[in-house]
Amino acid sequence: MPDFTWETQSPLRKALVVGRHGAGTGAAGVTLREVRDIALVQVMARRGQAAATAKAAKKLFGVEPPTSPKAVTAKTATLIWSGADQFLAFAPHSGDEFYAKLADTFAGIASLSDQSDGRCALHISGPRARDAMAKFCALDLHDTVFPVGAAASTAIDHTNASVWRSADEAGEAVYNLLVFTSFSDSLWHMIADAALEYGLDAGHVSAVQ
Amino acid sequence: MRIACPFCGERDSSEFSYLGDASPKRPNFAVDSPNSPAEIEDAVFDYVYLRANVAGDMREYWYHGGGCRSWLIAERNTVTHEFKSVTAAPGAGAALAGQAGE
Amino acid sequence: MSGYTETQPLGRTATADGRASPDRSSAANQSHRLANGGLIDRQAPLQFSFDGKSMSGFAGDTLASALVANGVKLVARSFKYHRPRGIMTAGSEEPSALVEMRTGARKEANTRATTQELYDGLVASSQNRWPSLRRDFMAVNSLLSPIFVAGFYYKTFMWPAKFWEKLYEPAIRRAAGLGETAHLPDPDHYDKAWAHCDVLVVGSGATGLSAALAAGRAGARVILCEEDSHIGGRLLSDGGEIDGMPALDWLRRVTDELASLPNVRIMARTAVFGVYDGGDFGALERVNDHVPQPAEHQVRQRLWRIATRRSVVGAGAIERPIVFPGNDRPGVMMAAAVRTYINRFAAMPGKRIAVFTNNDDGWRTVEAVVRAGGEIAAVIDPRGKVPAAYRALADRSGLRVLPGQVVDVKGGVDGVRSITVATGSSTQNIDTDCLAASGGWNPNVALSSFHRGRPTWREDIAAFVPGVSPPGMIMAGAANGDLSLDACLRTGHAAGAMAAAETGAKGKSGNAAKAADEAFAIQPLWQVKAKGKAFVDFQHDVTASDVTLAQREGFESVEHLKRYTTLGMATDQGKNSNVTGLAIMADARGRSIAETGTTIYRPPYAPVAIGALAGHHRDQNFHAWRLTPSHHWAAERGAVFVDTGLWKRAQWFPLAGETDWLQSVKREVLAVRNGVGFCDVSTLGKVDVRGADAGTFLDRVYINGFSKLAVGKARYGLMLREDGIVMDDGTTSRLAEDHYLTTTTTAKAGPVTQHLEFCRQVLWPELDVQLSSATDQWAQFSIAGPRTRDLLINLVDPSEDVSNEGFPFMGVREVMLRGGMKARLFRISFSGEMAFEIAVPARYGEAMARNIMKAGEPFGVVPYGTEALGVMRIEKGHVAGPELNGMTTASDLGLGGMASKKKDFIGRIMAGREALMAPDRQVVVGIKPVDKARRLRSGAHVVPKGAIPGPETDQGYLTSVCFSPVLDHWIALALVERGRERIGEIVRICDPLRNEDYEAEICSPVFYDPEGGRQRA
Ligand SMILES: [Zn+2]
Repeated sequence: MPDFTWETQSPLRKALVVGRHGAGTGAAGVTLREVRDIALVQVMARRGQAAATAKAAKKLFGVEPPTSPKAVTAKTATLIWSGADQFLAFAPHSGDEFYAKLADTFAGIASLSDQSDGRCALHISGPRARDAMAKFCALDLHDTVFPVGAAASTAIDHTNASVWRSADEAGEAVYNLLVFTSFSDSLWHMIADAALEYGLDAGHVSAVQ
Repeated sequence: MRIACPFCGERDSSEFSYLGDASPKRPNFAVDSPNSPAEIEDAVFDYVYLRANVAGDMREYWYHGGGCRSWLIAERNTVTHEFKSVTAAPGAGAALAGQAGE
Repeated sequence: MSGYTETQPLGRTATADGRASPDRSSAANQSHRLANGGLIDRQAPLQFSFDGKSMSGFAGDTLASALVANGVKLVARSFKYHRPRGIMTAGSEEPSALVEMRTGARKEANTRATTQELYDGLVASSQNRWPSLRRDFMAVNSLLSPIFVAGFYYKTFMWPAKFWEKLYEPAIRRAAGLGETAHLPDPDHYDKAWAHCDVLVVGSGATGLSAALAAGRAGARVILCEEDSHIGGRLLSDGGEIDGMPALDWLRRVTDELASLPNVRIMARTAVFGVYDGGDFGALERVNDHVPQPAEHQVRQRLWRIATRRSVVGAGAIERPIVFPGNDRPGVMMAAAVRTYINRFAAMPGKRIAVFTNNDDGWRTVEAVVRAGGEIAAVIDPRGKVPAAYRALADRSGLRVLPGQVVDVKGGVDGVRSITVATGSSTQNIDTDCLAASGGWNPNVALSSFHRGRPTWREDIAAFVPGVSPPGMIMAGAANGDLSLDACLRTGHAAGAMAAAETGAKGKSGNAAKAADEAFAIQPLWQVKAKGKAFVDFQHDVTASDVTLAQREGFESVEHLKRYTTLGMATDQGKNSNVTGLAIMADARGRSIAETGTTIYRPPYAPVAIGALAGHHRDQNFHAWRLTPSHHWAAERGAVFVDTGLWKRAQWFPLAGETDWLQSVKREVLAVRNGVGFCDVSTLGKVDVRGADAGTFLDRVYINGFSKLAVGKARYGLMLREDGIVMDDGTTSRLAEDHYLTTTTTAKAGPVTQHLEFCRQVLWPELDVQLSSATDQWAQFSIAGPRTRDLLINLVDPSEDVSNEGFPFMGVREVMLRGGMKARLFRISFSGEMAFEIAVPARYGEAMARNIMKAGEPFGVVPYGTEALGVMRIEKGHVAGPELNGMTTASDLGLGGMASKKKDFIGRIMAGREALMAPDRQVVVGIKPVDKARRLRSGAHVVPKGAIPGPETDQGYLTSVCFSPVLDHWIALALVERGRERIGEIVRICDPLRNEDYEAEICSPVFYDPEGGRQRA
C-alpha cells in the first residue's frame, strides 16, 4: 500500500512571489501578506437565539460578538461581524479543535459553517495601503470612518470580502481581508497591481505562532 | 450612488441588486386548498406578473448580496432615484426579531 | 493627506519677477514670446516638434502656448470643410486646435493643444489633412459645401440604402473626420479609484479656492479638483488685487494654507466630468499625460469615483464667440484666451491685435495687450461707447475705437491678414494678424444640469445660469452668473461654509476675501449678419446658415436643431457653441432665448478614454477568475482550461502524442467507462442549510421532498421559479438532523443562493433556517468507473466499508482516509458509472488529487476534464445548462414525476398552467444521425422529414451534442415537439448557419445503461 501524505497548499502558491516588487527600491509603500494556517468559523444565531449566542460567545471568548460592523479581538480569536445575527470567528489553525469547541459551545443556539478553507486571509499595510485599496475597495477607509476595530462585508471586484482594521505593533493601520479561496489568485493579482506604483513587499505569514 | 443598508451603513450601489416591487404578497395555497383552481391560479398569476409601473415613490426589494446578504425593503423615488428609507426584510436579522416577538 | 498628486499651485515662477532669461537662444527662436513675465520657467527650456518641425518652449507652457510663442497660427483642418484652423481658446473648451499626440502605440487623436502640457521631446502632428496641413487636398470639400449643409446625410444618401455601407459611408469617413487612432493596443496602464469627502469643490479659481478654504477651515473633509496642471483658474490669467495684495500673492497664500490643512486634498490635472445619482462624481486625473510616457509601474490616467455629501461647483464661465464671416480663421481668438497667453504664458498671439467685444470684459484684453507692450490695431465695440473704466486707457494709448461690427476676416492658411469693419453704412479694412473676440460669458452650468436641471436665462448678463441643481450641489461664482472677482470670492466662501456646516463641520470658516467689484456690462450680439461662412460650432463645422436652414425646414426645437445640424455633438460637446446656436435659432423663430431653452446636458463634460473606464480590467484581467483547488496540479499536468463563468476548469488532459481534443476526450471517457477516472467538481455550488426547519424549508423550495430524507442519504432535487419554469437542479445530502448540504449547478450558485435567501428572509421569516456558502471550503472530486471501489479501498482507512452493502447508492458519510485525513464521501453519479464524490478541505485539494492518482495507479486511473464529463452526462441523458434554459418545465425535462403532490412548493401553481402542460411542448429526447459518420452540432433545428425548414415547420433544436466513444458515433440531446411520442421517427436536421441538412432518428435520451445497473453496482 502506498504512503498517503496530506500536505496543505496555499491557493496563492503561484500568484504570491515573495519579495519586493514595483516602483522604487527603498521601503515599499504597500506590504501585502497572505496569512496561512487559519481557522475560520461562521456562527449564525438561530431564530430567537441572538442573546443566547452572544452569551455563549462571551463565555467561550471572554468578549461579546459584535452586533454591528466591527471586529473584536479576544485572547483566542477575533470575532468579526459578517451580517445580521452572525459573525466570523477567526483563529490560528488547530486541526479540528477550534471547530469542535465552537460546535460544543453553540449547540442548539447557533448554526456553524466551517470556512477555514473557504477563505483566504490577507493583510495590507504600509504608508500607501489606503491608496492602493482605494483602487479596488469602495469603502471609505478614512481614520474617522474606519478606525481600528471597524469591519465591513463588502464587494471587491464583484466578489464578497470581509474587511477589518487592526494595528501593528507601531500602531500603523493593518487592513485585514478575507476573500473567497477560489477568487484569491485573481484578487492577489489585482491587489498587487494596485500596489506596484507605490512599491510592493509581498510575502506570507502563519497565523500559528 | 450609495444605498444605506440598515446593517452595514452606506455602500456603493454596485453591492446591491434589485428585485422589484415589494408590495405584492405571495399567496399561500396548500395542496388541499378549498379555493377553486381558477381562483388560485389568478392570485398566483397576479403575484408573479402584475406590477404597477410607478413614477414616484415605490417600495422595492433590494438584496445586499455584495455585503451582508440581507434582503432589504427600500422606499425609492423611481423618478429621482432618491432613497427615502431602507429597512430590513422581516427575516433579515431573524435571531433578534424572533427574540423580540416571541 | 499627502502624496496623492503632484500639486503645483504656481509652477516654478522663477521669472514671474521679470528676471531676464539666461537661455536667450531658445527664447530667441520664439518669435512671439515676451521678454518678461508669465508663469513659465525660463530656466527650463523644452524642445518639441509639431508636424516634424522642431521648436522650443518652456516648462509651464501648454502645447498651444508654445505654438503661440513660436508664431504658429495654423494647427488643424476642420471636420467637414477642411478649413484651416488655429488656436481659439486657452482651455478645455477648445474646439479647433485638436492634434495627434505621440506616435506608435501611444498615438492619441483629438488632443486639445490647449490642455496638453508641454514636455521635452513632445511630438505632435496635425490631423484630418492630406498630404500636409498647408496643402490639404480635401479642402476641396469647402467648394462642395452646398452638399455638406445641415441634414445632408439625411437628404443626400437616402437611396439606394445598400450603397451606404460600401460607398457613401467610407467616402464620407475619408473626407470628413478628426484624428486617427493608433490601431495598436495601448501599452499604458490606467486605474480606477474611489475617493470620499464631505465637500467636493470643483474648480480652483477665486470661487473654488474660497469655498475650499471656508469648508476646510471649518473642518470638513474637502477634495478640490482642478482640471489644469496649476491651481488658480482665471487668477493665473487675469491677475488683479485681492485683500490688498496682488492676486498671485493671495493665491500662493491660500494654496499654502490649504496644503497645511490635513482634511483638504488638492487634486490638480483632475477634471470632474459628471455627477451621478446620490452625489457621486466622476473625475479623470491625467496622471502622466504631461510626460512622454509614464515611468515604470505608473499609470497614465486615473478615473476617480468621488463620493461626497455636498459639492460646491466653481467651474467658472466660458467665453463665447461672436458669429461673423471668417470667424474661424487662424488668428481669430477668444479675447480672454489672448489675455491668458499674454499674462500666464508670456506669449503674444499677434503683432497687431484687434479686439471685437460687446462687453466690458473684452476691454481687459485691450488693457493686457497694452500693458505687455503689444499693439492694438483697433477696438470694435458695437455698443458705441468706451466703458467708463477704460476711458483713461483709451485716451492714454490713443486707441482706435470703432462703434461697429466685424463683417469679414481676410487671410490665408497663415491666418488673419485684415478685417473689415462696418460702422453704420461705411466699411473699412484694418490690417491685423490677430482678432480677439468676445461675445460675453456663459456660466459653466454643465454639472448643475446633468440631472436634467434646466438652466434659466438671466437678461442682465445675457446668459443662462443654473436652474435646479442636483441635491447637495451649490453653484457659486462665475458658474452661477456672479462674474466679478469680488462676487466669486464672496459666493465661493459662503458656499463652502454652508456646505461644510451641512455636513456637520463645526469649525470657523473665517471671512471671505475681498476685491474691488468691477462692473460688467454687455449688449448681446450673437451674429453679425453679413455675407460669408460664419461658424457657430467650430468643431463640427456648423454655420449660422445651417441653423437658419434647420429652422426653415421645421427643425425648430433645440433638440431637433442639435440632431439635424450636429451642433454641439462633437468631442467638445458644444461648450462654446450651444448657447450661440440656440440664440440664432431663437432669433430666426422670433422667440426669446428663454423660450427657446437649452438641450439636455449629459455627462461626460470632457472626453474620457475608454482605457480609463476599463482601468485594471483589460486583457487577462478583463474579469476576475476563480481557480479550483487542484488547478495548479492540473496545469502542471498540461491540462487545457476552459472558462465556465468565472471558473477556469480543466477541459481535458492531453497526453504526449495526442494532437486532437477529441482524441484526448475519447480516451478519458473510455478510461472511465472501462476502468476509473476522476474529475475536480469543486465548482458546483454548495450551500449549507441548517436549522430546526431546514427540511421544511427545502420542501418548499424543491419540487420533491427533503424533510423525510434520512440522515446519511442524498437525493437529486429540482427547483422551479415562481413562474413554473425550472431554475436549477442538484443533489442535496442530509448530513445531520438539522444540517443539509445542497448543491447547485456551477453557473447558478450565485442566483440560487440569492433566491434561497429571499425565501428565508422575505417569504418565510418564521422558519429557523441559516444558510451559508460552502463552495470554496471543499475540494471535491468525482471518482467514476467500474474500478472506483477498488481505488477507494486503496484510499480509505481499512476500517471503512465501501462495499455496495456498506455504502449503497445515494449514501453519504464521513470517512477516514489513509494517512489520517477526514473526508466526506457521497455515492452519487453523473456519468452513469459506479461513482463517488469525495470532499476534503480545500487546502488538501492538490494532495487529494495526488493521492487519488496514487490509489488508482494499479487500475489505470486518469484525470478527466469537463469535456469528458459532458460526454458522459449526454450519453446518460442527464440534463444540464443547455436543457435548463429558462424556458423548460420539469416535465419538458422528463422529470415531471418528481413533483410532490403532498406539499406546496415554489412554482407549483404556475407550472400547472395550460400552456406549460400542453401536449405539443418541446421535450428532451435523444437524437442519433442516420448516417453514423455524420457529425452533429448543437443549435441545429429539427423539422419533420420532408418538410421545408422554416418557422412554421420548426419543431425544436439540438441542445447538447457529443461524440459518444461508447457508441462510436455522434449523439445529441434535443428539445423536440411531442418528442417522447415520436421515438424511432426519422426527422430532418437543418443547420442554416453551417449549411448542413441531414436525417436523424429520435430516440430515448438515455443512450447508455438505460437500466442504471452500472451506477448501483
Ligand atoms: Zn448590508
